[in-house]
Amino acid sequence: MLDEADVTATLTAALTTGGDWAEIYAEQRDSTAIRIEDHRVEELTSGRDIGAGVRVVRGPQSAYAYTNVLSRDSLVAAAKAAAAGIAGAQHASVADLTRESPPTRHPIRLAPDDVDKATKVALTRRAEEAAWAQGAEVRQVLAAYADVAQRVFLANSNGHLSDTTRVRSRLVAQVVAARDGLVQTGFEGPGASRGFELFGEVTPESVGEKAAQQALRLLDSVPSPAGEMTVVLNAGGGGVLFHEACGHGLEADAIAKDTTVYAGRRGEQVGSELFTGVDDATLPNGWGSFDVDDEGASAQRTVLFDHGVLAGEMSDRISAYKLGLTASSGNGRRQSYASVPQPRMTNSLVLPGESGPAAVIADVAHGLYAEGLGGGEVNPATGDFVFGITEAYLISNGELTQRIRGANLIGNGPRAISLVDAVGTDFALKQGMCGKGGQWVPVAFGTPTLRIARLTIGGTG
Amino acid sequence: MGELLDLATSALVGAQGGEAVEAYAVHGVATSVAVYGGEVETLTSAETRGVGVRVVVDGRLGFASSSEVTPPGLERALAQARSNAGFGTPDVGNVLPEPAPWEPMPAILVPGLESVPAARKVELALELERATLAADPRVRAVQRATYGDGISRAAVASTTGVSAEYARSDVYAYVSALARAGEETQTGFGLTTGRSVAELDIAAAAAEGAARAARLLGARKPATTTVPVVFDPLVTAQFLGVLASMFSAEAVQKGRSLFAGRLGDQVADAGLSIVDDGRLLDGPAAAPVDDEGVPTRRTVLVEDGVLRRFLHDTETAARDGDGTTSTGNASRAGHTSTPGVGPSNLFLDGTAVPVADILAAADGGLYVQDVSGLHSGVNPVSGEFSVGVTGLWVRGGELAEPVREATVSSTIVEMLRAVAMLGEDRRFFPVGGSLAGATLLLGFMTVGGT
Repeated sequence: MLDEADVTATLTAALTTGGDWAEIYAEQRDSTAIRIEDHRVEELTSGRDIGAGVRVVRGPQSAYAYTNVLSRDSLVAAAKAAAAGIAGAQHASVADLTRESPPTRHPIRLAPDDVDKATKVALTRRAEEAAWAQGAEVRQVLAAYADVAQRVFLANSNGHLSDTTRVRSRLVAQVVAARDGLVQTGFEGPGASRGFELFGEVTPESVGEKAAQQALRLLDSVPSPAGEMTVVLNAGGGGVLFHEACGHGLEADAIAKDTTVYAGRRGEQVGSELFTGVDDATLPNGWGSFDVDDEGASAQRTVLFDHGVLAGEMSDRISAYKLGLTASSGNGRRQSYASVPQPRMTNSLVLPGESGPAAVIADVAHGLYAEGLGGGEVNPATGDFVFGITEAYLISNGELTQRIRGANLIGNGPRAISLVDAVGTDFALKQGMCGKGGQWVPVAFGTPTLRIARLTIGGTG
Repeated sequence: MGELLDLATSALVGAQGGEAVEAYAVHGVATSVAVYGGEVETLTSAETRGVGVRVVVDGRLGFASSSEVTPPGLERALAQARSNAGFGTPDVGNVLPEPAPWEPMPAILVPGLESVPAARKVELALELERATLAADPRVRAVQRATYGDGISRAAVASTTGVSAEYARSDVYAYVSALARAGEETQTGFGLTTGRSVAELDIAAAAAEGAARAARLLGARKPATTTVPVVFDPLVTAQFLGVLASMFSAEAVQKGRSLFAGRLGDQVADAGLSIVDDGRLLDGPAAAPVDDEGVPTRRTVLVEDGVLRRFLHDTETAARDGDGTTSTGNASRAGHTSTPGVGPSNLFLDGTAVPVADILAAADGGLYVQDVSGLHSGVNPVSGEFSVGVTGLWVRGGELAEPVREATVSSTIVEMLRAVAMLGEDRRFFPVGGSLAGATLLLGFMTVGGT
């Protein structure tokens, strides 16, 4: 994407003020977005975004400058602007660049660029029509398709050079259903690091149907009661809990600053012995996967909790340096060339256990079964979290009974995972976007059925 | 002035007969400095450009964007937008605005920011960190202290005759303080904003962050009770953010607002008004025109408790018909997106009283300092919500013992009708828009706990 002589000139300019190392991240992002709402194509947009950022790092400090213009003059000017943020005398130099070609773990069979717009519009329509077909109580349907091909060129003064392309596709349906003044919404949004072939396996009809069926089921729900109870999270649904309650607190920038409840607890039995969780950027074609992270490290799988024992954290280069580690865990990610990397999750997975999913519920005298969790928030310093439950049932004497809505899960991360007392043999993945420091990146969550002995439910009923 | 408008105008060159074409161009220069432990953590300097092109042909809309602002890049964007329009659905809302006279707002660009040296910006961030640590002995660390500024320019040109450009400066500094006692940690947020470095009040932001963190130490989960509830200005601003989406005509037309079909209804306490004003100089979002070149203005959405108007852009106004006009509330996330309806500077209006009077009136009540789960916890259609809250009891007109892990559940309309007193401490927060907070006394609400 960039000429090697331009790269060397840029990195050389970047190191003139005492940086330990410098890096160029250049990106070309071609994207398509289609949104059909209530039978109308409301949006069909194409975008090309190009740009490059130069980062200079000295110990724990970094300076960054970026531009939309990829000429040598412009890159060198950005390098000088970044270098001006570092004070010192030059001591590092640019190593010979070696092009690295990591194995492609996420093969693309049908590149979005090779599929015409009419086909993409037709696919989105199929999801929309399938949702409308679920019944007269369906009042609004939004179906949206998005694909992106993100070419990432990375080079640094340590000699790394890579040029990889990440392709992602997603189809989302959001449905509003109404009955007698009660209005409920349903959502389904599968995505993957795949091309258009994704929709050979995940049919657009299934996406529309699932979203509509969820909205319709919620019409038969009553407001959730509040209070403390046993909570069973269905396969896939508990992923948001793991992501929010554990994952953010195990990002190494928070650990280095001692602003997380998990800081200094490596090796401690924090979670229940049934609980093993990993972050895995190598998950084949996963929504949060890649081959090379956004600062040149190969994708990795990092064990965070090994049978409840705190076993690792997720780092980028700077947070790894702060923790005295020799290398990052390959979790340096950024939203685009306009952002500096942060330690971020990729695919957060809780590994399956030994209980049959039905048996996990059968033991519960009184509790709540959550079928899907919405967005959440966590305060890493305290571990306290809150997030919405999109769909749930009350459990009474081992049976699912009343369908409920509007519940919030309120609790504390370490306490919640210490109270995991059953883990299912099943497993399912969900996809989402995670925000941190104003940057959004795709992440996936995967879990088996999980049971937590006690959690606080905030409800409106 | 002029260069960016020239760029936008140049993107219209390839327009064909029967097409309406609009180019929205942006150019931004920004700096941010984050410090930690007395040292610079990250310094970022940025320059971005980009163009978004809308094409309307036979009532169909197509859009494409590019950050390649070269003649070939602009031609490619126009060609793609035209091709995308071919797949669009014809709609009465697919129209570009007609030109209207607009009055520049030179005051939103305070000159001099370009010449502030990076070292001075670093010093401001370090000063904020130091002042926060010094403000309260219980503050043991600062998660991060940040200084940021930017000069943003936007231009809109269209074949329908719109031609507008403006520039604005923004400067801010914020801190997240960490107070500790034993194993317990609490965080507190402090913020100062302005249009120039001279307008920042670093000492006030430091004191705010420190106080908000320290006063939560020792927080306990309360027993469930029904008491008067007071919202902190930041909490009020966050709720206003949720309300903002409900005032959008786009949400109303799509049946996604609980205010749909309720113009003329009493939706709030008779003492309360809700106003959007794009020309309000102390609002962070102040601008002479919106993101499709329509002049901004003051729009009273709720007047003395009665719902009067919704926020419109050109598209929603055309869909409503019957002489409905845009309120100048077209809003884009950047050059990469088509306009949607968004608030400019949104605030609560009414008779404002000293905050001390509110605390005196709320004896035995709960002062809510932070809410969590607001965006996942509010149903935009029914207005039901249940959020986690952190705060302090109010006793004898003062903030007393802290509270954590509590919940507050109600509905948006019940909450608006329960507003009893509005504080005179109005202040804008650039959190997901430009939303003004103020201390707010609500009537009795149930606070969930053990």
